[in-house]
Amino acid sequence: MIEFQNVSYEHQKGNGVNNLCFKIDDGEFTFLIGPTGSGKTTLMRLVYFDIIPQTGSVIVNEYSSEKMSNRKIPKARQSIGMVFQDYKLLKDRNLFENTALPLHVLGFPVNEIPERVEETLELVGLDGKDKHFPHELSGGEQQRACLARAIIKEPDLLLADEPTGNLDPVASFELVRLLETIHETGTTVLMASHNYNLIKGRGHPILELKEGILRGN
Amino acid sequence: MDKFFYLLTDGMKNLWRHKLTTFTAVFTLFLALFFVGLLATAGTNTHKILQYLRTKYKIEVFFKQDVSNDEAIGYIYRIKQIKGVRTATIIEKEDAIRIFKDQFGENIIDILGYNPLPVSAVVNINRTSRDRLSVEPIINEIKAINQVDEVRYQGSLINKIERTYTRMIDQFPFLAGIIIFFTVLVIYNTMKLSVYGRRELITSLQLIGATRTFVKMPFIFEGIFIGILSVSLVFPALIGSINGINYLLMNFTSWGIKLIFDPTVLIWLFVLVISITFVGSYRAVSNFLK
Repeated sequence: MIEFQNVSYEHQKGNGVNNLCFKIDDGEFTFLIGPTGSGKTTLMRLVYFDIIPQTGSVIVNEYSSEKMSNRKIPKARQSIGMVFQDYKLLKDRNLFENTALPLHVLGFPVNEIPERVEETLELVGLDGKDKHFPHELSGGEQQRACLARAIIKEPDLLLADEPTGNLDPVASFELVRLLETIHETGTTVLMASHNYNLIKGRGHPILELKEGILRGN
Repeated sequence: MDKFFYLLTDGMKNLWRHKLTTFTAVFTLFLALFFVGLLATAGTNTHKILQYLRTKYKIEVFFKQDVSNDEAIGYIYRIKQIKGVRTATIIEKEDAIRIFKDQFGENIIDILGYNPLPVSAVVNINRTSRDRLSVEPIINEIKAINQVDEVRYQGSLINKIERTYTRMIDQFPFLAGIIIFFTVLVIYNTMKLSVYGRRELITSLQLIGATRTFVKMPFIFEGIFIGILSVSLVFPALIGSINGINYLLMNFTSWGIKLIFDPTVLIWLFVLVISITFVGSYRAVSNFLK
């Protein structure tokens, strides 16, 4: 569950979000749309507590920005999966190590990890590529690797910030389909995009941001 | 426990993953520690060199003409009792003739018809003292013996050597402090640069929910492994260098000096490098953590 109550945040150089109020219930798939600079990434960063609102409060699952501390942030993020436009894969580790990383963070028993990684890579269509390093994968594959890393811990919430930004239309469509498949397992999904054509007609709620202000719901 | 072993092995794997960084860090630490090790060895052996130089200090005591060999033995016994005197060896009148002949090639009795050379003694002073040695009190006590005619010694040379030694001993802690300070700085900054090169990794780890400890541990383990690697290379390098210097000293000089290597230096170097790499990597990662 994500709830924004009168949330405002302004960056030093301007931009940001202003007086946002909305709620996304558990198990929903929501699109966040808006042009570049409209505040989508700021909103996402507020959800994973990378920044704390200057006014108002953000509630994600049982965590509230008002009671957030540096010690609690990792705990809050452990129930959130994140997919980024620039993938943020660790370049010095292969696909297996990248995907397994969240499980090590959570303290999973080592003997259970290979099977789980294998299943997840199969789900995102990267089975057999576990020894590949990020630079040996295409853009679409890297994004799916990023998705595998995000979902392997079975998060309650999946955030995707412009995940199709660097992908061609076919790979973009496949990725959205994949997110929908994950959503069908009960995961709450919030995906930000500036590509309206990609998300229209899919039957999911759309939040529209323009100049930091929420326009549609 | 699984998490701990993962972090430990990840720290080890990082050495291989970032070979160039590891090599640079190990090499830098090796040079810094080797220099500190040599400095410590020099400190240990400074007194040995002084002791060698002190063996060259010579005090020659000439007795009056009418002092016989037997009488001189009594006076020499008195000289031996003076504080700071190690040995005193009599040179009898007959020995003096032989020495004269060795030095000038002539028998003085053949020239003069009698032996004008007095009984004398060579006095060696105690060389083990770590304090500055002053020969003047010894000379004064020897001169106070009535039957002593003349005392010859290398006063200015002895003073110069002793003064230089005292100055070195006084300044050694200061010099060692500066060198150790710069060594610490070099090691600390090497660790910092190694972490700085991977700040993106820290950000990524934080984004997937890694705790501060989880992010820090592999860097700390990696830093400690780098320290252990470099100090492992320093040990044989130091021992080898000192053995090499000893070989040169024993085979190509007549000084009879053999440098000793204090094994506790190795323990100190180990403790030094582990502490600095631990603190260095810990602080460097902390700087990049929000």
